[in-house]
Amino acid sequence: MPAPHVVIVGAGSTGSACAHDLALRGLRVTVVERGEFSNATTGRNHCLLHSGGRYAVTDQESAIECIDENLILRKIMPDALELNDGLFVALTEEDLAFKIKFIAGCAACHIPYRELTPAQALAREPLLNPKLLAAVQVPDGVFEPWRFSMAFLASARSNGAVCRSYTEVVELVRHNGSVTGVKVLDRVTGKTETIGCDLVVNAAGPWAGEVAGFGGIEVPVQPTAGIMVTVGRRMNNMVVNRLDKPSDGDIVVPQRTTSIIGTTSWTVTDPDAIDIPPQHIQKMLEKGIELLPEIATVTTRGVGAAARPLIKRARQDERDVSRTFECFDHARDGGVEGFVSISGGKTTTARGMAEKLGDLVTRKLGLSVECRTRNTPLLSYRLFYQ
Amino acid sequence: MPKLHVRVQRQRPDTQARYDHFDVEVPDDANVIDVIEACWRQDQNLMYRHACHHASCGTCAVRVDGKEVLPCIVPLAACKPGDMTIEPLRNFPVVGDLVVDVSAFFQRQAAAGMVITRDAEETIDGHPFEPSELLQPDGKLERRHYNRFENCVECGICLSACPTLSATDGFFGPAGLAAVHRAWEKTTDETERAALLDLADREGGVWQCHGAFECSEACPQDFDPAGAIMDLRRALIRRKVGALFGR
Repeated sequence: MPAPHVVIVGAGSTGSACAHDLALRGLRVTVVERGEFSNATTGRNHCLLHSGGRYAVTDQESAIECIDENLILRKIMPDALELNDGLFVALTEEDLAFKIKFIAGCAACHIPYRELTPAQALAREPLLNPKLLAAVQVPDGVFEPWRFSMAFLASARSNGAVCRSYTEVVELVRHNGSVTGVKVLDRVTGKTETIGCDLVVNAAGPWAGEVAGFGGIEVPVQPTAGIMVTVGRRMNNMVVNRLDKPSDGDIVVPQRTTSIIGTTSWTVTDPDAIDIPPQHIQKMLEKGIELLPEIATVTTRGVGAAARPLIKRARQDERDVSRTFECFDHARDGGVEGFVSISGGKTTTARGMAEKLGDLVTRKLGLSVECRTRNTPLLSYRLFYQ
Repeated sequence: MPKLHVRVQRQRPDTQARYDHFDVEVPDDANVIDVIEACWRQDQNLMYRHACHHASCGTCAVRVDGKEVLPCIVPLAACKPGDMTIEPLRNFPVVGDLVVDVSAFFQRQAAAGMVITRDAEETIDGHPFEPSELLQPDGKLERRHYNRFENCVECGICLSACPTLSATDGFFGPAGLAAVHRAWEKTTDETERAALLDLADREGGVWQCHGAFECSEACPQDFDPAGAIMDLRRALIRRKVGALFGR
């Protein structure tokens, strides 16, 4: 009997990692993405390989997920990461008071940390605001989102997965109350076709609600946009964060010859029509200058925004929404069989998200195959094209 | 909000190229990628590649008014006002509209053997790096080098700009040869170095380059593939001369 066939909708970091997880477990996998692979939420993310420090005080569930996955990715994706650590920098007495909570949070979430004096921090980061009062070093890192996803897809493909870009889901095929496939539009041929399967995984990120809606199914995803402003010169060796709870413009991620300032957070209704408010660009630069004053002297190189797929919960401000993830089995409570959604989370935790999703999918399909992604080195992104 | 008349090359593998016209309005501080997205909002059949919008992924390369660029970092202010023509890269097979097939390109990049990260050579203020301390899960410190992504983003612009590739088949191409050069610079293993020089010396290698330097001129990352090709030629000449004299 052939292995069950799973269609994954969306090839951002989540869909790509799910494709790798399920293909490694021996399932037949087809992943469809309506544009270039990881062209949206993943593509335009901050490139931050989280240590978990950012959430160590406000969202410890996410913080623990981050440090666990950070350490796994260092082993399975060693050649596609800039591993230069991160600094959390206190500029005010208020920040200094937060340091106590931050260190307690890191300890509680097993995030390694080291306190630096201002002089030690300036020796490592000469362009830091010289008025800093304290700094804490953590194992943050930097990745390249497109290559990150392509490494998962290259590995999935080597295990038989079919990965199709420019292939957009236009309908969920249903039979007797179950989802039994997807109807897709191939943008190259202009033709629609039906791909039958045993189960559909909805990994469409901020579009997860739209995809589920094709089957009359609801997914509580709140598309929440964030802006990144990239400057034309690298300003820092390590990631530089403000030592405070997450807020707008509190992080500068270095990459190659540039530094990326982020971010803001605003709710959008249509993730395809994100118009960047010009005042957000100005705000990023102003906040970036507080951490690294020389940002005032360099040109802006690129500006991007994409929507995050945060999970909607009642009565929460978008900054307080947990950055952890959820798998939704839509068969629960007498709902629809053959359709699961995965949403929330972050690129750093994509492998862990895929492991949970893979556990759910194999359980639903009556299989018992262990996840092996934790110890399996990923192929180079270039080998996707072999 | 500037108004713009945009001509975009449309094509499928089995059709002749044609131009479609779009009238778009974009913010004053928009980059060319925003113009392409504004066209796409009018016609979602328009195929284009993009991801990071800050010249790191290398996916979005196209030709704007005949010149190869990464549209994510080209401000509208740097283009001629009023109208614009957007076409796919040359010297790649077209998949659809502005999307080209990068398979053969990445196969060559893989064959060239350059790892996309390297130990950083100097700090942002130009000093040699002291080894950094990486925090280990048990809280102990391991001394290791800072590392960096290579400056080449593998966007394919240098291949599109290359007159040698336009004129001849089988040329390995500037990005691939620059990657061979980088891999050769990075390793101290003499066997590996010899194998990399052999790769550069093959038919379709560094000797096929016409030396037009268009690749280095077009490179958005100042990676200088032509300089790398010339350096490999010098190394090959040194090796050949050395062999003549038994060294």
